[in-house]
Amino acid sequence: MATLQIEKLTKTFPPHSKDGRPVRAIQDISFAMSGQVFVSLVGPSGCGKSTLLNIVSGVDSPSTGTVTVTQDGKKARLGYVFQDSRLLPWRTVMQNMLYVSDLPEEEGRANASKYLEMVGLGHAHDMYPGQLSGGMQQRVGIARAFSVSPDLLLMDEPFSHLDAITARSLREELQVMWNATKKTVLFVTHDVMEAVQLSNRIITLAHGGTVFDDTTIELPFPRKASDPEFAAQQAEILGRFETMELERTAAKG
Amino acid sequence: MGWAAFFGIWAFVSAVILDEFTLPGPLKVWNEILEIVRGGSWADDFLISISKTFMGFMIALIVGVPVGYMMGRAGYWKAFFHDGVVGAGSIPGIVYAIIALVIFGIGFQGPILAVGLISMPFIALNVAEGLEGVDRDLLSMSTAFGRSDRQALRHILIPSIMPFAFAGVRLSFAIAWKVEALTEVFGSSNGVGFQIRFAFQGFSIAGVLAWTLMFIALLLLIERGLAIVERWLFRWRTWEQAA
Amino acid sequence: MAIPLAYLGAGRMSAATMSRQPGFANSSIGRALRSSWGARVTSYFAFVVAWQIVGASFFRVPTPWETLDFIWREVSGGDHGGVRPGQFWEHFSATVPRFAIGISVAFVIGVVVGLLIGSFSFVRALLSDVLLVFLALPAIIWAFLTVMWFGLGWEAPVYTVILSAAPFVAVNVAQGVRAVSPELRRMSDAFGVPRNRRIRSMLLPAITGYLFTGLRFAVIIGWNAVLLAEWFGAVDGVGWRARLWYDAARYKGFVGWAIIFIVFIFLLDGLVLSPLQRRAFRWRASPSSDLKAEVGAVDTESFTNTAIGL
Repeated sequence: MATLQIEKLTKTFPPHSKDGRPVRAIQDISFAMSGQVFVSLVGPSGCGKSTLLNIVSGVDSPSTGTVTVTQDGKKARLGYVFQDSRLLPWRTVMQNMLYVSDLPEEEGRANASKYLEMVGLGHAHDMYPGQLSGGMQQRVGIARAFSVSPDLLLMDEPFSHLDAITARSLREELQVMWNATKKTVLFVTHDVMEAVQLSNRIITLAHGGTVFDDTTIELPFPRKASDPEFAAQQAEILGRFETMELERTAAKG
Repeated sequence: MGWAAFFGIWAFVSAVILDEFTLPGPLKVWNEILEIVRGGSWADDFLISISKTFMGFMIALIVGVPVGYMMGRAGYWKAFFHDGVVGAGSIPGIVYAIIALVIFGIGFQGPILAVGLISMPFIALNVAEGLEGVDRDLLSMSTAFGRSDRQALRHILIPSIMPFAFAGVRLSFAIAWKVEALTEVFGSSNGVGFQIRFAFQGFSIAGVLAWTLMFIALLLLIERGLAIVERWLFRWRTWEQAA
Repeated sequence: MAIPLAYLGAGRMSAATMSRQPGFANSSIGRALRSSWGARVTSYFAFVVAWQIVGASFFRVPTPWETLDFIWREVSGGDHGGVRPGQFWEHFSATVPRFAIGISVAFVIGVVVGLLIGSFSFVRALLSDVLLVFLALPAIIWAFLTVMWFGLGWEAPVYTVILSAAPFVAVNVAQGVRAVSPELRRMSDAFGVPRNRRIRSMLLPAITGYLFTGLRFAVIIGWNAVLLAEWFGAVDGVGWRARLWYDAARYKGFVGWAIIFIVFIFLLDGLVLSPLQRRAFRWRASPSSDLKAEVGAVDTESFTNTAIGL
């Protein structure tokens, strides 16, 4: 369980063309999270949520502001699940799991096996990613991220490239795994409903990279579509989302 | 069926249109081949030629891989090597034979240098292209999980480049093999090229044809062999494409 | 290199990277040297220096200056210190007609054969292996055979050019014809497009690019072939002249003629043929990188192409 602290973060990209303006992807964002929380970052495309995740994970760096990710004062271990599974196509599933692990060989294999079992791919150790379906590849991605026992787990729209049915079953699996391991999770998505189903806190980003809303959701897990309270909460968050979109359209026009 | 046509046309032309002296028919050349094989030294000549080709490839790899790597990594080196590599790749093999001859005269080093020079551009260009084609998403995954540069090099860069480097070797093999033989024709005292020149000087048309056919047969065989090795080495690619 | 792997430069030099260096490297000379134009000039300079070093260390190898001096004398008709005076035009003008005739005939034969092979699967089944063998036969073999058949003189070079170059034209034209996708053909069938309009608007533009590729290959191989044939079986011409100097162990003469040979083909290919080919192919969005396209390197799948050797 980690502590993530973001202070006055901005990120600007150089202009696309010679006389264009610099692109401000994130503007003065601050928030903090820690402990056993599942936080979703929601927003339309172009609101900077993937950029934020890149900065938190160290792949990219901030223009100004600070990002600290700590675990008991030390640097925290990160796990990352991507939209596309990003498995090494020339290595087997097991080898992919071992690539990210720092454990010695024997332990690493046992550890990887455990997580592969959890996602239902215990039989696929020696298969190549090309032999797996998109959903299975994504499961391996999830198992891989969990297997490094990360303090902070980052997920970037992991289900957006899957068909609705596979996505739904993976969401349930994710929920089960999170309940079992209770990690700190930062989950990015453009799907508001997905966010309401999975998280206990939703941060909404507006276009241009500012924080629009920050809501905690108190409902117990697991959340079912048939539950009226859940439906109500969804409607409320969605309503706020729509308001934001309306405001934006009004401002533009 | 095509092969039947080939031999059929050949036999026809040599028996009917020309004469057996001008164009020896398939049978006559086949006999010549048997003679050569019975002679016993043919294996030595081919072995000598193949090993010179192989050594030339080693040189091409030793020079080509680093050059290709530099070209793929940094714009400065890409510009620096560009004209040299592209120019070197467009020069006909005979020029390399000439260069090798001038530097080494008669001897075994000439063909080796010629092979090295003509294969190097293919390998360098393929490695550079492989590097440019590296999946950046995989590299950022590697960084996100805290992997070191060395691990990324070993598990991502090198496997990404390998198919390209191998293709470079396979493509340039046919050309290298021919350049090697050509260089031998001009200035060696052993090897396949030497034998062909010897037959020419002895005015043996059948001899020239016999050695040439053996040369081509070996070329096709090795080509096929390399293709099979490539398909096995990179079997994950067919799956990736299918998925 | 200081650039972390995650940001592989991929060959692009940004103004940002360049201006971050300290001291001299950031002065205007330094910047010019480190530009891509500067890199090219430096590489030529390095090449000449390397040549000079090799020439100074191996006695057989002529230095750049010696070679240039030789070429000048040869071209201007000056004398070479006792040996026969320069006869550049005499020999060059012997070789070029042989080359031109050979290429023209090779082109015609190649186009005809290529059209047949590409259009009729029966012909393809019959001739594709024949074509493969002809592609694989090195020019030197044709040089030998034609010399043995025709003796010394103009015939051997011309026939060598024809026999070496025609297969390449044929294989490219055949590919071009087959590249006219079956969908386009069916579309023309469905609309009942008359035959000559089909040929003009559908077939010809599609194969023009391939015609040019075939022509380029034919030119390079043919020029090669003429040199080889003249080396072994002519009494004048570029190849013969080069051999003269080589046999006399006057290597600067040999290298000089080799350079004349190379320069001619570079000029012909670079100034005339490549631009024409690029224009002919501009409708096609080529997926391969431009570096390889420049070399004329081919994709790894086509087996016929791997038989190409120069």
